[in-house]
Amino acid sequence: MTTALVVGVGAVGTRAARQLIDTPGVDRLLLADRDDAQLTEVASAFGSDAQAVDFAPGDPIPSDVDVVVTALPTGVDHPIVTAAIAAGVPVASSEDEHEALEQLRVLDPNARGAGVAIGIGCGLAPGLVDALARHAASMFESVDEIKVARTGWAGPASVATVRHERRVPVRTWHDGTWREDHPHGDSLVWFPEPIGARDCRTVTGGTALLVDAFPGVARIGVQLGEPPKRARLRRRFGDEGEWGAARVEVWGRRDGGFDCTVYGVVERTAVAAGAVLAVVGARLAGALTPKLDRPGVHGLGALLDPVPFLAELAQRGVRAAAFEGVAVA
Amino acid sequence: MQACSIHSRVVKVFKRLLLVLGAAGAVGMLARVRGKGGVPPTSGGWRELEGPEFR
Repeated sequence: MTTALVVGVGAVGTRAARQLIDTPGVDRLLLADRDDAQLTEVASAFGSDAQAVDFAPGDPIPSDVDVVVTALPTGVDHPIVTAAIAAGVPVASSEDEHEALEQLRVLDPNARGAGVAIGIGCGLAPGLVDALARHAASMFESVDEIKVARTGWAGPASVATVRHERRVPVRTWHDGTWREDHPHGDSLVWFPEPIGARDCRTVTGGTALLVDAFPGVARIGVQLGEPPKRARLRRRFGDEGEWGAARVEVWGRRDGGFDCTVYGVVERTAVAAGAVLAVVGARLAGALTPKLDRPGVHGLGALLDPVPFLAELAQRGVRAAAFEGVAVA
Repeated sequence: MQACSIHSRVVKVFKRLLLVLGAAGAVGMLARVRGKGGVPPTSGGWRELEGPEFR
């Protein structure tokens, strides 16, 4: 009997919970959130498949839980991951802010020592793009550069993270070393239709996760699109959430020449992030095969084999595409 | 003496005007350079990944 604990039932957590309920290998779902009204509403919507529990960051992990899935605002995951490592329970986290990711990466020796697999940055980007970069990189003899970009946000907490990332000094991986810089202006990035061209700015984001997964690649960059102005005043997020897109560009050498592979995906950001989070969680718990059991704290580029992951996501409606034509450098 | 004072004031205003125009031009140039986008892909399109290898 597989039991998953979903902590945070906002835009992403609710969708991840739905995906986990729809996973045959998951028998029981526990839901936790600091907002009791939201928690009650979501738990009642899922019926007998889900049960609301009293759990908060810092609490010990309940004894019968096989995996913890977190979809929380920035910086809240650390005590949960610490408790999970102590309990020997794997975690799938949707954390995507660079300082919070660093705090989780620091736990890597603890997770390795405990033999626990922790997946971090389980969303659209970081997350799905890391797996797509791994997939694209497998087609090259050597990779010189990886560029990923995302436009779209899953909810108010996601918008706040994007605004913060675009405002603070940037750390990029350039010629095999970290380089710190102030945020530059935006440049156009071309996503699959119907998203098309969007202004994006270089941020730190999940760059470190890509560097972990591709230590031999000289240049790695992450870009984020501009969030809507005053979203809270203008309108509320609808039930279906905002459309988002991600793009992965891998440059390298193959067949004696310099070439590029470009992958992209368009989906409602919360839906894509929820599906990624749920699939990683289910595979960490062993409810989906192949089970993810590599001890340590990893991004998805290092944690999983991309092909079965992309196949599972495609079955759930999150499909990636390849750009065929003349890529823009 | 008064003519000299007026002349000096006119020159000062002229210099300030030049400074403002120069600053505005520099800001405009910076915004233009920094806001420059990529070139749209003129050929090709997106194809869904498919097959057992998802390529």
